[in-house]
Amino acid sequence: MSTKEDLNRFWNAYKERRLGLIGLGIVLFFVTLAIFAPYIAPYDPHEMYKPVEHPNSDHLLGTNDIGQDILSELIYGSRVSLFIAFFVSVVSAILGTSLGLLSGYFERIGFFLMRIVDAFLAIPRLPLIIVIAAFMPPSIWNLIFIFVLLGWPITTRIIRSEVLSLKNRPYVDAARMLGARDFYILGRHILPNVVPLIIVRLIMEAGYVVLAESGLSFLGLGDPTAKSWGMILHYSFEYPTIFISDLWMWWMLPAGLCITFTILSLTFIGYALEELVNPRLKVVEL
Amino acid sequence: MHQITKITGYVAIILVVLSFNFFLPRVMPGDPLSFLTGDPGMDMPIVLDEEMRAELLAYYGLDKPLLQQFYDYMLNLLHGNLGWSIYFNAPVSSILIGRLKWTLLLVGTATAIYMVLGIMLGTISAWKRGGKRDVGLLTFILSISSLPSFFLGMLFIILFGIKLELFPIFGAQTPFMRYSTPFEATADIFRHLLLPATTLVIAHIGGVYLLMRNSMLNVVGEDYILTARAKGLAEWYILRKHAMKNALLPITTMIALRVGFMISGTIFVETVFAYPGVGILLYDAVTYRDYPLLQGAFLIITLVIIAANFVADIIYVRLDPRVKHE
Repeated sequence: MSTKEDLNRFWNAYKERRLGLIGLGIVLFFVTLAIFAPYIAPYDPHEMYKPVEHPNSDHLLGTNDIGQDILSELIYGSRVSLFIAFFVSVVSAILGTSLGLLSGYFERIGFFLMRIVDAFLAIPRLPLIIVIAAFMPPSIWNLIFIFVLLGWPITTRIIRSEVLSLKNRPYVDAARMLGARDFYILGRHILPNVVPLIIVRLIMEAGYVVLAESGLSFLGLGDPTAKSWGMILHYSFEYPTIFISDLWMWWMLPAGLCITFTILSLTFIGYALEELVNPRLKVVEL
Repeated sequence: MHQITKITGYVAIILVVLSFNFFLPRVMPGDPLSFLTGDPGMDMPIVLDEEMRAELLAYYGLDKPLLQQFYDYMLNLLHGNLGWSIYFNAPVSSILIGRLKWTLLLVGTATAIYMVLGIMLGTISAWKRGGKRDVGLLTFILSISSLPSFFLGMLFIILFGIKLELFPIFGAQTPFMRYSTPFEATADIFRHLLLPATTLVIAHIGGVYLLMRNSMLNVVGEDYILTARAKGLAEWYILRKHAMKNALLPITTMIALRVGFMISGTIFVETVFAYPGVGILLYDAVTYRDYPLLQGAFLIITLVIIAANFVADIIYVRLDPRVKHE
């Protein structure tokens, strides 16, 4: 069975999931925005014009408190949020999977690593992120570091429990009997079986990172030089008359909706994938 | 035996958290002095001459060997001394104690509501899985769960607080209000509680709903449900007596575990609604670079969550006797 065949079969099954398709569509929309931001955005988001302008033909969503074009801020904002989410989820998936494979396959490493994972998982993630971020100089790379640092343990735990059940299957025993080395078995026989789980985790983690990054920026812990959606919300929330005037409609609302729809799309994709991967949840056609 | 390992685990976690709190200001780039005194060392360095610096270092005990510092830190904690908040100009511990009741009220109310709702909706969804109602509910709940609580809170303030003027938009009580009856006081607190609690409910209902739905889907396929149907029992009766009872078992541990997420979630909700709990202290501490307050609030939040996990463990063993024998 070739990989291409597998992919085709997977896509055919995925196509049937309406939520999954909606999610994929929204994600592709934001990815396009992020990639082509310089061509789509009408202005440089850092350029300053007349402050607090209402929407007009020059500035479709008005300008913020220091006169930057809000629409351009939003378009460039997709870059920051998506880049951080993509980078963090991929790196923590790689790290979490490798450690999960090792700790599931080698009992001693597993015992040791699981105590560390326990400690990480017992401490609430969000307050921990906030505290570490507050002690570090605000920058995108520091945020990424913190998210990866706290992101791998969950993946490790999930992969480990799967490996524990896989490693005693007859085909693994057979491979071992034929003289296959441990790392060959891990890479050739066990890893392919946990790939679907990894993908689901990766999507879920990306959604979490979008939420946490915007939340952190909202609290004022984001990179002040980066134009992220959370940062736009932060400055709009701090503006004295944001709620009593109409400013919120074009300053706060669009940024919030961008965050919401990004998380929504990832949630939909994650759920659709989980239904495919986890046969227990598979919807029976009634 | 099982109990002893569990308790050792909890003690270990508390030690990890305390050490983390102790070492963080000391290993981070920058002057630990600026973290402890709370002055924004990195943005606005205050120039200290050598003598003043030495004096301050001695005052905070930073000139002692690290092990001695750690010992003093632990001793202070045992005396309930969490340091001095620069922003509030008061001991961190007394600020925290004053704030904890509001956070617990908010989290308690929201937990009670979204647990009941989540369990009900999850059951309804799973019972006719794949049906119109199930798909509709699933899509709806996944969608509202995607709203970040800080954004949803702002929308609520604009809609219900400012446009419709139905609810107060900040605080936990009306300032300077004199209540003539205790009933009036309760009503005022309730009016302030409603919007932040609703925000929390919406932010967290998805997890319980999905878990209950999955748990029910498992139970619905069991043989004893088929047997009950074959006996001709009413659907509603099977649902309540046979299915829900068993499906609820894995939910119980989730309740206490979720309390942890909820308390983290209140950071945003309290900030948006200016609700005077522990969560908003994290925001204040970050805004004013009040590091002792930040660490104190973090410690309290973590301890409450660990306590919740502990309770979850105990409840689970009581509810499901099978666990005890493992």
